[in-house]
Amino acid sequence: MKLTLKVWRQESGAEEGHFEEYLLEEVGPEFSLLEALDKLNDDLVARGEEPIAFDSDCREGICGACGVTVDGTPHGPQKNTPSCRQHLRSFEDGATVQLEPFRSGAFPVVKDLAVNRSALDRVIGAGGFVSTSVGTAPDADAIPVTHEAAEWALDLAACIGCGACVAACPNGSAQLFAGSKTMHLATLPSSSKERGRRAKGITRAAEEEFGPCSVYGECAEVCPAGIPLTAIAGLNKEKLRQVLRNKDD
Amino acid sequence: MTATIQRKQRTSAPPRTRLPVSNFAAKTTMAVTGLIFVGFVFVHMYGNLHIFRGQEEFDHYAHWLREILMPLMPYAGVLWVLRVVLLISLVLHVGCGLLLWTRARRARGPFKRTGLRRGDALMARSMLGTGLVILLFVIFHILDLTLGVQPAASGAFESGSAYANLVASFQRPVVALFYMLTMLVLTVHVAHGTWTAANDLGATGRRLRQLAAWVAGLVAIAICLGNISIPVLVLLGVIQ
Repeated sequence: MKLTLKVWRQESGAEEGHFEEYLLEEVGPEFSLLEALDKLNDDLVARGEEPIAFDSDCREGICGACGVTVDGTPHGPQKNTPSCRQHLRSFEDGATVQLEPFRSGAFPVVKDLAVNRSALDRVIGAGGFVSTSVGTAPDADAIPVTHEAAEWALDLAACIGCGACVAACPNGSAQLFAGSKTMHLATLPSSSKERGRRAKGITRAAEEEFGPCSVYGECAEVCPAGIPLTAIAGLNKEKLRQVLRNKDD
Repeated sequence: MTATIQRKQRTSAPPRTRLPVSNFAAKTTMAVTGLIFVGFVFVHMYGNLHIFRGQEEFDHYAHWLREILMPLMPYAGVLWVLRVVLLISLVLHVGCGLLLWTRARRARGPFKRTGLRRGDALMARSMLGTGLVILLFVIFHILDLTLGVQPAASGAFESGSAYANLVASFQRPVVALFYMLTMLVLTVHVAHGTWTAANDLGATGRRLRQLAAWVAGLVAIAICLGNISIPVLVLLGVIQ
């Protein structure tokens, strides 16, 4: 099949960007979006042109490194699927596909399709960790965790930190990301010892870096980890709890 | 071929100052004041339905509003307490709304998110516009039916004759149309606002969220249908 790719080219964050059109031939519907970009880059290098910069690592949807905006939708047309697992079969033969970097005020473009997502790291640095010593693995059932709680914590811990929720949000909010990180740690006994401190730190960092949430719900549509919208209420709940109790735990 | 990120171009954390009013405080304030409004509008709609019991009952209801808790409170005391609460809520709600809107615009960056198709997202996007329409309507509504200021009020306005004032007002088709359009706009604002308030106040339980979604939708529709029936029936000549 053939595709016309309209790709955002930007030399660096300091320079203006623009779209450039490339004709992509000899690709098949089984190609992933990133494989198509690989193919295009091979062609560009063969022609002596600058290849398109984009982030990618595991290519199996578990690392959170990749992320481009496809026709205005972060990651691509397939719901809840990372860029590396989007395939060309989603597009009609001969279609024009527009590729942009993740768009958000907190994500400055580094080059072409690659953005700097360290604002997410700063939110994690403000509380998305466990600082209590939990020792070695305890005996099974020494600390009771119900099956439901464990599953719920795992569902929320599935966040791979790709930043698609921020790019999808018309407000540039990271509420889904911050909520999943806060809630999954609040759900389990050992990490819930610093719930208050964590809620305070994460909320403050998220507010300094990102926008406020207006419950558009766009984040949950694109999240490759399928984090439910409940996570956004979770962050508010944890913060409200911290404000009312004013304690570290 | 994967990313060729120039590490030295990675920006460090931009210098940020702590926000004077946190988004959390602003959002919680909007949620609480918004729910006060939803409660008020719902009760107001319920009260309006007295119109179907005739002129005497409706005027009696309007008079009764001023006599709630009468021996304990002075005449119209409760009414004024409610008015002050609503006015404070209005200032906080609008102020926080504008604050959050400007912050959201800044956080979004120069590229506007396009291609929103889902109803939820479109409702969320409409909140500032629908809120503005409702604010303008409230000002008109008070000038029309509470204060009786011309030209918002009909020429026949007479203080204390709630039923006659209402009918005279709605017999002007433009006013009735504005009222009906505002009710449709209000439905959207109330539905999304109530659902957002549930999220802002931390409703995480599965059943609680289902309940909140249903209540948000049903309350909004009830307010719309209850209120909109009045100008429709006035225009049809059923209420005279």
